Amino acid sequence: MSRFIAASTARGARQVIDKADNMLKGALDSLGPDAPVEFKDRSGGPTAYYLPVIYGYLGHKVEKVGDLQYPLDRAKSLLAPEPDENMWLPYLGETLDAGVGTLWAEEIIKGIEFAQGKQPEAKGDFQFNGPIDDGQLRSWGIAMVDGSMPGFAVVIGEAPSNQAAVRIVRELQARGQLVFLSGNVNGRSVVDQLLEEGVDLGYPTYTVSFGSDTESTVYATGYATRAAFSFGNVTPGDWRRVLLYNKFRCFAFALVLGPMDDVKWATGAGAIDYGFPAIANTMVPHILPTGVTRYEDVISEPWDDIPGDTNEKAKRLIDKCIEVRGIKVTIPQPELPVTYGPAFEGEVIRRRDMQVEFGSKSGPGVELLEMKDTDAVEDGKCEVVGPDIDEIDFGNNPNTYFACKIDVAGRAMRDEFEPVLERQLHNLSNEVEGYQHQGQREITWIRVSKKAYEAGLRLKHMGDVFHTTFHNQFGSIVDKIQTTFYTNQEDVEKIMEYARDKYRERDERIGGLKDESVDTFYSCTLCQSFAPTHVCVINPERPGLCGAYTWLDCRAAYEINPRGPNQPVEKGKCLDEAKGEFEGVNQFVYDNSQRTVERMTLYSLMDAPMTTCGCCECNMVLIPEANGIMIVSREDFGETPCGMKFTTLMGQIGGGQQSPGMMGHGKRFVLSEKFISAEGGLRRVVWMSKPLKEELKDDLQQRCEAIGEPDLMDKIADGDICTTVEDLVPFLEEKGHPALSMESMI
Amino acid sequence: MLDSIKFKLEVVVPEVEIPKEKWTGRVREVKIGGKGRKEVVVGGATAMPFLDFEGEIPNPPRVAVEVRDDPSGFPPGLLSSWGDDVVNDVGSWAKKAAELGAEIITLRLTSAHPEGQNTGVEEAKSAVDKVLSAVDLPLMVIGPEIADKDNEILVPIADLAEGQRIVLGNCVENNYKTIAAACIAANHIAIAKTPLDINLAKQLNVQVSDIGVPLESILMDADMGALGYGIEYAISIDERLKLAALMGDSVTAVPIINHPGPETWRQKEAKVSEGVPESWGGYDERALYWEELSATSIIHSGADVVTLCHPKAVEYIKSMIAKLMGQ
Ligand code: SF4
Repeated sequence: MSRFIAASTARGARQVIDKADNMLKGALDSLGPDAPVEFKDRSGGPTAYYLPVIYGYLGHKVEKVGDLQYPLDRAKSLLAPEPDENMWLPYLGETLDAGVGTLWAEEIIKGIEFAQGKQPEAKGDFQFNGPIDDGQLRSWGIAMVDGSMPGFAVVIGEAPSNQAAVRIVRELQARGQLVFLSGNVNGRSVVDQLLEEGVDLGYPTYTVSFGSDTESTVYATGYATRAAFSFGNVTPGDWRRVLLYNKFRCFAFALVLGPMDDVKWATGAGAIDYGFPAIANTMVPHILPTGVTRYEDVISEPWDDIPGDTNEKAKRLIDKCIEVRGIKVTIPQPELPVTYGPAFEGEVIRRRDMQVEFGSKSGPGVELLEMKDTDAVEDGKCEVVGPDIDEIDFGNNPNTYFACKIDVAGRAMRDEFEPVLERQLHNLSNEVEGYQHQGQREITWIRVSKKAYEAGLRLKHMGDVFHTTFHNQFGSIVDKIQTTFYTNQEDVEKIMEYARDKYRERDERIGGLKDESVDTFYSCTLCQSFAPTHVCVINPERPGLCGAYTWLDCRAAYEINPRGPNQPVEKGKCLDEAKGEFEGVNQFVYDNSQRTVERMTLYSLMDAPMTTCGCCECNMVLIPEANGIMIVSREDFGETPCGMKFTTLMGQIGGGQQSPGMMGHGKRFVLSEKFISAEGGLRRVVWMSKPLKEELKDDLQQRCEAIGEPDLMDKIADGDICTTVEDLVPFLEEKGHPALSMESMI
Repeated sequence: MLDSIKFKLEVVVPEVEIPKEKWTGRVREVKIGGKGRKEVVVGGATAMPFLDFEGEIPNPPRVAVEVRDDPSGFPPGLLSSWGDDVVNDVGSWAKKAAELGAEIITLRLTSAHPEGQNTGVEEAKSAVDKVLSAVDLPLMVIGPEIADKDNEILVPIADLAEGQRIVLGNCVENNYKTIAAACIAANHIAIAKTPLDINLAKQLNVQVSDIGVPLESILMDADMGALGYGIEYAISIDERLKLAALMGDSVTAVPIINHPGPETWRQKEAKVSEGVPESWGGYDERALYWEELSATSIIHSGADVVTLCHPKAVEYIKSMIAKLMGQ
């Protein structure tokens, strides 16, 4: 860390502590040790928790002047000598300690001033507010906990101009931050500037003037400490939890306007302990990530280097503050010409009711969500390149092109979250009345109803929908999002090609992962709402049975929402390698299936197979006569050799049961090396629904070749060939299907 | 011939072993009331309802009685059972409920509903004040269940009753933070309400406790419909929540609250006296049975607190609980 800052902080701390020491000596003489010390706001509103910073750190109650000696002595003990000239990398810890000592000393100074009747400060006719009283703390505290007011900004010093002062405060207010004001530069402060511009200061306008000196900034950390007492169930003296509460729950920061000095550095060091970073509008050294604050501790954003006029500068400066503190702003629902809500999720738009269709039979449709650098994303931007819905004459030319490209940036974003977020587009879009979304990736299919079109719905509105919902639902990882729609041939074709590479990369990423190379699988219990004993255990080589969740998706979902339905499952001891039975999996499944399912193997159909809920893509069923299995997929409405259609089968085994010989699974599981490997894998497949066979054709052929059965595909029957066992067996015999000569399945 | 045969009659009583479940979990105890107010403890069980041979049941299911500051949503048949003079004043209503054996008063602030009288903070505070001064029972206050309105009126009420550990509801999936925060600040109990979904119920408990409400200050309402209106879902959800708690799942181990009373009196069977098939029977009895059966069912599936409406239902349910508790 910077030697300059360390040295400055050490000097500042000493200066403040010496001042407190002198003042305390004087007060003990003039007022005596029994003179009461109590913080109040300008109208006499009481504050609880004594001198709160001292109480929070030391559990020590200050009620009278004599009580100030102990914290002063403790503050002195935190002072380390100023690092010498040759010490280039001083230790951050000493600086932070000096900051703590500074805060205590500042509280002591303010305590004495209260005892002397000099606080809250008066300057001319203006009466500063001083500390914030309890009633206000409670009501702002509730807003802080419920997220409507993320935190506070302490603005210290003097803005470059009166107009800048006003704009900075307005920008902060617009983001729901409380504004606390303190400090000065050569006697002038933001408070003076705001008063000159006729800005009202006080609780009703969320602007609180603490005082004209830097020391009064300590009321901000006092406020933060009291919030931790009131809302964080923190006990006095448990300083660690006071600080952690503020780091994670109170989104505060300091904005230092104008030149720094030693006391400002020392006070800032104290604030950093609370997880509050400092942003300076002058040239100062940075303190980059240390873990004490969420991101950087100190950031310099020199005013003159910020582009734009005063308004623009103020906006960008506050943007930077918000980013550095990691503040998530909740955005109100977008203004849409149609209604928005889960009620429209299952809405079906018929051909005759639609204004326009993208994808499916009307042309290519693709959607891609990608992570970008923060500078490459303009939050909230939505652009339509090519004609929007109202410029497309669908009636006369039903050939459309569609690409939806979403760029997100976020400090906590990772590229493996891309597919998880991308999959959200389905639900989010469908909640828009009159907008129907089907498919995903390069088979995106969209319909917009005539009614919604007439109400004014355009593609550009969808950008607003994504912007708000991503911020509000995935704010933990998404800081910025922009949407671009392309509707002309050339662009869409380009994006399609690019997207395909991207998808392939993603598939390969999961494709290269083997069950053996990980220690942890993931669970999914999303379906327990209707199949109470069902648990999907998802491993790299086996997706969830609905096909929607891969191991990577689950891992990402777990990181995004650690309390959600995807939980890590430690494999534990392997009990049977061939069947894929693990101690950890058994335990997890037992605990999470209402203690109904005692064992569950991952690679076997015959011995303790996975349970089946209602939403599997496919079902596999043992056909004893053929010594193999058939696979029926959901799209197949026809009869099957097991004598049951897909729906009848679901009625038999759905609902969370474990039924050896029958099991639901995802489509792509068929391609996995672990596909019922205990029973011999793909070689066991004697019949397959035609649509599934078609869909997986190329990949299946590859797998067949890999297992040394290049012509297996021709030997597997489908619905076009037969739908009864009587017809199936002769077919298999004629083709010489390998299952017939394998070990008996039963 | 017969004489020569000696009969020996022996009755063999076989040893019957009652199968017992062994549970590892315990539902948390939540203390409602205090600071001058009577205290009622709910929860604490280590066994399914009334199965005290499998564990301990330190507290019986508790009976709360609902009073409203705008009673017009209740059918006349119910109101007349209390008396018109009583139902027009929440204070007298609460007092009479206390005399009839209510252990908790549920005050539903119906007058604040935006589509009704749309009253504001002052009216809400005065209703709460009236109940607080009329009885010394613990209090539960439920808003009109419109997110913004709930937040607007419940926060000042939390302040007003600071430290008396009243129950405030409802925290719901997309609107729990403000009420939860108010509970933290004034040491009250939050109701976490979810629509008949065990996953959501669990998740909301986590969210409410994450924000800072201790699990010892949460009651969960997994919602219910009255008899004939989906009560079977509620039975299954309550039961599964309780089983999860007894199996040791810490987050679901909070007491369950249900409102069979008001749920019943919303339904046709409890509202309509004319133009219904004769086989439905007389209105008075039918409506009352409806409430009693709804309450009985939900208590047996795991409810730790039930809100009732009719004076006779209170009497009946209390005596049923007493008998089942072996009192
Ligand atoms: S089927 Fe899909 S959604 Fe359901 S539990 Fe399994 S992975 Fe989760």
